[in-house]
Amino acid sequence: MGQNFELLVNFGLPLILIVVAYFVGSLLEKRHYQSIRAREAEYFGFPVVTFDTMPEDWRVSSSNLVDGSVVVSLDYFKRIIAGLRAIVGGRIRTYEPLLDRARREAVLRMIESARRQGYDAVFNVRLDTSRLANARGNGEGTAGVEMLAYGTAVKFASLVR
Amino acid sequence: MRFIARKPRDGINVSDTHPLAEAGLLVVGLSAIFLALVVAVIFFVELALYLVPADTEARLFRNWLPADLVTVAPDDERLYQAQLLLDRLAAHWADAPYDFTVEIDQSEVANAMAMPGGLIVLTSGLLDQVETENELAFVLGHELGHFRNRDHLRALGRVGALSILLATVAGKDSSRLSLTITDLTLRGFSRKQETRADEFGLAVVYAEYGHVGEAWRLFERWDEVDSGTLEVASYFSTHPQTADRIDDLGLLARREHWQLDGQVTPLPWLD
Repeated sequence: MGQNFELLVNFGLPLILIVVAYFVGSLLEKRHYQSIRAREAEYFGFPVVTFDTMPEDWRVSSSNLVDGSVVVSLDYFKRIIAGLRAIVGGRIRTYEPLLDRARREAVLRMIESARRQGYDAVFNVRLDTSRLANARGNGEGTAGVEMLAYGTAVKFASLVR
Repeated sequence: MRFIARKPRDGINVSDTHPLAEAGLLVVGLSAIFLALVVAVIFFVELALYLVPADTEARLFRNWLPADLVTVAPDDERLYQAQLLLDRLAAHWADAPYDFTVEIDQSEVANAMAMPGGLIVLTSGLLDQVETENELAFVLGHELGHFRNRDHLRALGRVGALSILLATVAGKDSSRLSLTITDLTLRGFSRKQETRADEFGLAVVYAEYGHVGEAWRLFERWDEVDSGTLEVASYFSTHPQTADRIDDLGLLARREHWQLDGQVTPLPWLD
């Protein structure tokens, strides 16, 4: 009885957490990808380029810095699987969609910011990432990462693209 | 320069592997590696046991005490009487390579442990629960059985080697879980050792008293009350479940035609 209770606490609770985290995490991920794809289709044709100098034939009337930022964290399922993966090494496949979503969402937010301010294109786009503060009191773990997309938004004087 | 819009391509930076497939592969693969490690550790511990005979072990660990032991005063009556009883019981094992000694650990949880070098540690929690000398004799005899089969080193070697291995591999984050997994895995392996120790213990009790009555009465009492209570839970984490054990002991006594009832000796320090 006491032994079973100990087993339950040691294995049962984390297992329930993993299962719940998997289903909730999968659902959220699926919905996020739907939203990302829909917005990417909506902004299709909006120029976002990584040149650090503006193409010569762009005639612009104004410009400004625009950015889009996302903070993401792991769910318990991904963390456990990544922990197991860390023992043998290799691609941490459960993290890949997480960071992929973060990159695309950050770029989308940057575009949304530029469009809302009436700009027509963004050049010199850069992506930055940084780790956020520790998740646990002992200074270990990661609360999440920030993905930041920024660039120079411009408004065309005449549409000679 | 003309900007030609292109659709972003899906699935370059993200693996197609389903997360559950990844999880399944990792869990199955790592379990297989872990089991292989367990088998390897057991093999090397057996090898070490073969290479270090019992009298060498007794010499190496003479006067050794575990560091976390909270001992009672040397003139404690229970310590003195338990040592006398142990000496009487050990006399039935003629060519024992150990000089057996008893220590009492001041701990509420009832447990008894066989330690390297012939040391038997009884907790004061256990002494509070035994009601007759016969019960205590069986507990001591059971631990003598572990020395006879050298299970005490086996357990120590296996748990020690595996937890070091796991701590190295998995890091300190998962050490508590690793210990639980190690404990559970090895518990399966040690069930047979406990049965053999019981057989030896009961034979010693029979040799001493001429009957085995009341020898396992302690376990029957624990089985009657809830064995999940905190005080005895620790004993069960290292010893078999009571109900099975009581059945096995009864079968053994009948098989060997050991008399089941007889004169019960009271605890010497209760006089």
